[in-house]
Amino acid sequence: MIRHHPSAETLLAHAAGQLPAGHALVVAAHAQGCPHCRAELARLEALGGELLDSLTPEGMALDAFTATLARLDEPPHPRRVPAKPRQANLRLPHGISLPSVLAGAEISRWLWVGPGVRYSRVRLPWAPNDNVMLLSVAANRRVIAHSHGGSEFTQVLQGSFSDETGHYGAGDMAEEDNDTNHQPRANDDGCLCLAALEGGLRLPWLTRLTRRFA
Amino acid sequence: MLAELLSRVAATRDRQAYAVLFKHFAPRVKAYLRRAGMEATAAEEVAQEVMLSLWRKAESFDASRAGASTWVFAIARNARIDHARRVRGLPSEPEPEAESYPSAEALTLTAERASLVRGALSALGPDQRQIVQLFFFSDKPHSAIASALDLPLGTVKSRIRLATAKLRAILGDAP
Repeated sequence: MIRHHPSAETLLAHAAGQLPAGHALVVAAHAQGCPHCRAELARLEALGGELLDSLTPEGMALDAFTATLARLDEPPHPRRVPAKPRQANLRLPHGISLPSVLAGAEISRWLWVGPGVRYSRVRLPWAPNDNVMLLSVAANRRVIAHSHGGSEFTQVLQGSFSDETGHYGAGDMAEEDNDTNHQPRANDDGCLCLAALEGGLRLPWLTRLTRRFA
Repeated sequence: MLAELLSRVAATRDRQAYAVLFKHFAPRVKAYLRRAGMEATAAEEVAQEVMLSLWRKAESFDASRAGASTWVFAIARNARIDHARRVRGLPSEPEPEAESYPSAEALTLTAERASLVRGALSALGPDQRQIVQLFFFSDKPHSAIASALDLPLGTVKSRIRLATAKLRAILGDAP
């Protein structure tokens, strides 16, 4: 049972294509497991279609149609898709696999953060500066209190965590804004999350670590 | 109907149907890209690419899942994002597998959803409609909304929240 969804503004921003790539990835991971949000996104995309139709047309070049017709039978440009990304084997708990939205991402091995807390750096070749990570927290461990320079989206892949704002189980997405200074704690079942951070985590030593292993 | 034309392109590579679709969509896609801050030449080029994608991907159009304009909007939106990456020398994001496409399980009829959305748009006040429009159609929605409605940047967030809350109240859990 999913209890925490992306906010209405976030879903709108996702449908409009206005989210940073890392945040969009987390919302997409959530939507994959959430029929409710998929339906909401379908409505918002329909809104985009409606708005597109209502735009005042902007004249195309005179030869636009003939030029396009001439290209119809050309093979499509090879997409600039990155080569198969390097993905470390994270030895996930039995029965848990990474969301398919991570298929094109580079995934580092687990890096130690503190007792019972590990993270893996997720690098998106199409948005290499976006700060995305997998976070694994053992049962009843806390992530060190931190704040961030912008919003933080967290999708729970397995287990659950709780913080000042509530209890988040598998399938839930947490949205924290820049004012939150929070200290999530994994529950008895531990927790595996996918997170995107805007503006970086304000944890100086972790930032150094991230850079060194990037 | 645009959806029917798209299905004809998919089924028989019908160039006459394609011509009608081109005439309808290309100038709107270009207008969309221009509003998103693209130079005229780039917008022209990307709009033509979007129209090529429409030809090539027509088979994947499923009228029971999305209206023609919705489908084209999604292609144009992704092309805008991809173009911004290309000019920075970055690769494309791999396309999601068909089954992970977010709209997959929208169960209700596309036409019903479209009329619902039209209703929602007209139920918004002019300011709120403009907010939603700018959200979809500008490069930097927050500052665009601030200057269009003459609002301090700090209040834009709460105005967006109000507009989206109203939208959701109308669209609700409806299809």
